[in-house]
Amino acid sequence: MATITNKLIRLTAADPLGRQPDPWASFREIEIIELQWAQTYRHSLGKYSRFFVELENKRFLATRCPICSQVWAPPRPVCPDHLAITEWVELSGRGRVESFSILHHPSAMVPYIQPPYVLAYVRLEGADTLFAHLLRCSPAEVHIGLPVQVVYYEGPVAHPIHLMAFEPDNG
Amino acid sequence: MSERDVVVVGGGLTKFAAERADASVRDLVVEAVMSAVEDAGVDLHNVEHGLTSYESDHFNRQMTLGAILHDHIGMVPKPNVRVEGGGATGALALRTAFAYIKSGLCDSIIVYGGETNGKSVTSATAQQFFALSSDADWEMMVGGTYTAYYAAMMRAHMSRYGTTERQFARVAVKNRRNAQYNAHAQKPMNLTVDEVLASPPVADPYKLLDCSLLSDGAAAMILATVEWAAAHSTRWGRQPNVYFTATGCGTDTMRLGDRPHPYPGLTHFRGKREAARQAYATANITDPLHQIDVAELYDSYSGVELQAYEDLGFCEYGHGGPAAESGVFDLGGELPVNTSGGLLGRGAPVGATGIAQAIEIMLQLRGAADPRRQVPNARRGLTDTHAGTGTHCVVNIFERRD
Repeated sequence: MATITNKLIRLTAADPLGRQPDPWASFREIEIIELQWAQTYRHSLGKYSRFFVELENKRFLATRCPICSQVWAPPRPVCPDHLAITEWVELSGRGRVESFSILHHPSAMVPYIQPPYVLAYVRLEGADTLFAHLLRCSPAEVHIGLPVQVVYYEGPVAHPIHLMAFEPDNG
Repeated sequence: MSERDVVVVGGGLTKFAAERADASVRDLVVEAVMSAVEDAGVDLHNVEHGLTSYESDHFNRQMTLGAILHDHIGMVPKPNVRVEGGGATGALALRTAFAYIKSGLCDSIIVYGGETNGKSVTSATAQQFFALSSDADWEMMVGGTYTAYYAAMMRAHMSRYGTTERQFARVAVKNRRNAQYNAHAQKPMNLTVDEVLASPPVADPYKLLDCSLLSDGAAAMILATVEWAAAHSTRWGRQPNVYFTATGCGTDTMRLGDRPHPYPGLTHFRGKREAARQAYATANITDPLHQIDVAELYDSYSGVELQAYEDLGFCEYGHGGPAAESGVFDLGGELPVNTSGGLLGRGAPVGATGIAQAIEIMLQLRGAADPRRQVPNARRGLTDTHAGTGTHCVVNIFERRD
């Protein structure tokens, strides 16, 4: 007898539209198998790398356009408004919550966080954009306008963006 | 419009479902194409061009799926092109087909697409795949999901305008109610606002019943010039003629946080406003609420439909919530929205979604929708479809011309 190692389901399907006669009557024996597929990427952080490297030094960097002075956080190597190469600037890491959501399911991207957890869009002092990251606090504490600050971690982490998060700024 | 008007010869779609265990994605697209060919009354051998509409290689575990689909409907060796625009893929495919016909590259084209978003992978993996269509290094890796991005947008809208959870829950009720009158819909439900509010939280303020569906399904539509339709369709002129009269497209930054304030800020869809502006200019629409008779909007989440009312000019900014409560967008209202059930009720196999929206408008303009959801004397309809958090937006307009 033939053996198929992956999980196997055989079923007889019905016409989902309930037609009589079923135009696919002789194609209703269905087999479903399970396929696994995993891969590992070599992933350059490219011209954004300095931002991530400086997180190891507990410094929060952004970029500023030399023409319009707009400050981008997350950084952009090129200001899209002027197609000009930007310059690195350091921010204080303090800001306020512009909006947020409380997530109730675990995320494989942040396996070290138990739901419910907060994703916040933060307006950082000195930046013209909003920075999205975890806000490590009780969901009951969070509200629009809450002062927050960047906090740094030593790791080990799987992605250097996890070397930081936000916490309420009680200082 | 000038010469080379584009017409909808016909369209067809499969039953949308949480799982179509009876069919692979290629089976689904073949079913939809057979249905479209029958509806159009054409011989597919006469159609000159193919256009493949699907978003993800991940769900289907197949790259260049277009080659398989084009082959399996017997279109080889004729030309084919694949179009991808995230959630807007189907609408962008129709827009591309419009351009192909307008340019004279062909006189007839079949747009077909589908997706198996339902059970190919677990729901958690599906969320991760979709999150890859945000900025993966900066938005996904910090634990973000699309539900959370949209939830933060709605939270900002609530804060700025006083919009309430009851107001957007009403959209979830309306669209799933409309789905009850659509045999192809995935999730027809007779719900109350309180039941939506009591459903489990996913990403606050969105609850399970505020969220659209993961679906298996496919859809296809045949577009052509008037002359081609008259020469090749046995049904052209024997039922109300539907024209594809205008299309617009707009974009916004990939990351929600990079958008200028106060507009669009976190609260609005700038790309949607831009797409509508272009389409309205072509179609001579200055008062969309009264000049459009039926619309299919991209209700990926219930609150998104409220936001879309505003950027499409159906109501003033900030009035989306009260407008929904007024019933103006219900069946029987001034401008019924998502008569098909929308993404919340009919379902959303991504590559098929924009095409399915257009098929609903086609049926409405022909007067051929189920009588329980038919909008009387519908003459002009609109579809609104977007990718990301409004990153890529397409508005298409269709009109009945007797």
